[in-house]
Amino acid sequence: MAATKSRTSSFSRNFSALSSQTPGLKHGPNGTTFISSGIPDLDRILGGGFSLGSLVMVMEDSEAPHHMLLLRNFMSQGLVHSQSLLYASPSKDPRGFLGTLPSPASSSKDDKSYNSDPDQEKGLRIAWQYKKYFGENQQNFESRKDGKHEFCNDFDLRKPLERQYLSGKNIECVSFQDSPNLVALRDRCGTFLSQFLRSDETTSSAGRVAIQSLCAPQCEHSNMEWDILSFVRSLKGMVRSSNAVTMMTFPPSILSPSTSKRLQHMADTLLSVKAIPDEDKELANLLTGYQDMVGLLSVHKVARINTQVPVILDATTYSIKLQKRRFLILECLNQAPIDGSSGISYSTSGSCSGSSKPGSLDF
Amino acid sequence: MTESICRALRDGALEGEHAPALTIKDSIASPFGFDVFVHVLFKLASNILAGKYQSRGLVLIAFHHSPSFYVDLLKRKGVDFASSHKWIQILDCYTDPLGWKDGLGECGSGPKLLLEASYKTCLCKNVKDVEKLFSTVIELGKGLVGQSKDRFCVAIDSLSEMLRYASVSSVAGFLSKLRSQDQVSSIFWLLRSDLHEVRVTSAFEYMSSIVASLNPFNQCTNGHKGSWKSLSLLEQNSTRGKIFARFKRRNGRVRVACEEFHVEQSGINLASFSSEDGKSNQSLLPKLQFNLRLSEKERVDRAKVVLPFEHQGNGRPIEIYDGRRPHEDIKCEAAPISTGKSQTNEESSKGEIIYFRDSDDEMPDSDEDPDDDLDI
Repeated sequence: MAATKSRTSSFSRNFSALSSQTPGLKHGPNGTTFISSGIPDLDRILGGGFSLGSLVMVMEDSEAPHHMLLLRNFMSQGLVHSQSLLYASPSKDPRGFLGTLPSPASSSKDDKSYNSDPDQEKGLRIAWQYKKYFGENQQNFESRKDGKHEFCNDFDLRKPLERQYLSGKNIECVSFQDSPNLVALRDRCGTFLSQFLRSDETTSSAGRVAIQSLCAPQCEHSNMEWDILSFVRSLKGMVRSSNAVTMMTFPPSILSPSTSKRLQHMADTLLSVKAIPDEDKELANLLTGYQDMVGLLSVHKVARINTQVPVILDATTYSIKLQKRRFLILECLNQAPIDGSSGISYSTSGSCSGSSKPGSLDF
Repeated sequence: MTESICRALRDGALEGEHAPALTIKDSIASPFGFDVFVHVLFKLASNILAGKYQSRGLVLIAFHHSPSFYVDLLKRKGVDFASSHKWIQILDCYTDPLGWKDGLGECGSGPKLLLEASYKTCLCKNVKDVEKLFSTVIELGKGLVGQSKDRFCVAIDSLSEMLRYASVSSVAGFLSKLRSQDQVSSIFWLLRSDLHEVRVTSAFEYMSSIVASLNPFNQCTNGHKGSWKSLSLLEQNSTRGKIFARFKRRNGRVRVACEEFHVEQSGINLASFSSEDGKSNQSLLPKLQFNLRLSEKERVDRAKVVLPFEHQGNGRPIEIYDGRRPHEDIKCEAAPISTGKSQTNEESSKGEIIYFRDSDDEMPDSDEDPDDDLDI
């Protein structure tokens, strides 16, 4: 797993029982609180999720709509956990987009078998007589909890979100296509975020702000680059002092390079998505699992709040795959075996593994 | 490959999707964009006349040439204009885009525009008003297809000219509104990339689903002009070129295709060729590592391996598989993940080890089985 090891110091805060009351929040290191991004693999890569108070930016690729996958999962996760949501987009009818949000997958045990393996691998298979002195480890995995109480749900992209989640009063939608500048959007964000001001009490609720394609070319503000920068700066300040996370996507190719760089520096967590060419024989030979990939996700920066220690990831680029065409998974890029044509491919050379008769083992 | 572009435009949009949009992009190095535009226009017109595809009408917004020019061009290519008022409308933004002729008064007006019966054209006097332009286009289109479910295509002959009069964001807004309009089947336009900043070109590429860029046939990298070789290369470039098309597919991937073209008097000839795809895709990927993890099947198989000397401590009499004999019958349980397995070994007494002592001097202790502390 490409998990980052979080350094835990010997000092720990007295935490009240947060997890039982609010399923969507989780304690992170250094006094931060995490909310889930909606994609289990992304939470794992980022070390727990998105920290409350951080600004997440996703750089779009003009050739692929993968940033919408990230946005959809982010928004759905918030609605499933009854967190308030503000959604801003350049289309005329942002509410229409809510109809495309995915629903959490119905709990089926066989889908989750791979999740149980991290614990499984820790137990060594001991080919030694003393194993009988260890207690029999009965690993009873609890039957899947009800979807509402998990920190991060697996979303089925083919199933739309149930109406009960969409009809709540906690969803606001804003369209910024026709507004002449970003003042109106900033005011809306300000009023929304003021509901979640951080205080010394324990956090009870969190908010999510999702801004799609901030400087899309059809918006009038798209060439007012300094206005865009000052908007993002004030948004970052508002988010930092509140219990909310903002996810913002923007297309860097539309902006001038210096503005794009400035925006990237303002992000707490910076991700980018990239399209991959279709039916490319070179890539198919180079990577395993090329057929299932829809795109690439790169993690450029991970938010570190209240600490100076940076996160160094094992790998920064992941492939975005749709498992069974429904579930979004992120996988490390792996090189295909070089000798794929010599008859023994990696997947079948099980060597000593045998489900049927193995060959005679001669020592 | 241009066939697939025309096919994509002809197939149009699915329900609830944005209409496909094509950008034809050329530059001074390969200035044949207009020929490609006319080629696509002709193909689309033939498809509309055939009547089998999604779009039933075409609205052509003419900035760069007069409507009569287009009519003559299409007639020469063999398009039947007999019933043209049913399927084509030309919005004339060429004759008087800013309404200057009105200002000149009667004495300044040229020959009146003859509204020929063979085709319909609509004069636009204020191209700066993009909102009005949008509503005019929609009106014309609806006039062609009626109120039914039929759709129409829109062609803009020179987006660069339109950008002279209106800002990038208003033109981009115009295009995005057209794309999301239910009755528009597909849109395509020509853009001269060296007349604009890179940002502007990339903004329109962002908005389109297919980008066809024209490149010169030979990339002349050598600096010295005047040598015979470079002259002949230049001459080749003056009639030939390559089109690189990038299709944004619905699954999020990008299809890249390439084709050669040859411009002649009658039009443009296209021939496909296999591109050697100079730029390697390695630039997309970071340094790769081999897969050190196990797939699901591999994990399951690994769990089934019987290790030698493994205790099966689950209450049954312990049977040691010491790896010497092959398994005849191994029955594995269907649940592979649990560590306790029941297996039956058939301890057949086939193999034997025959040991010859090396010498009689050996200490008797050396005969002892070192595995004596195994309790069986």
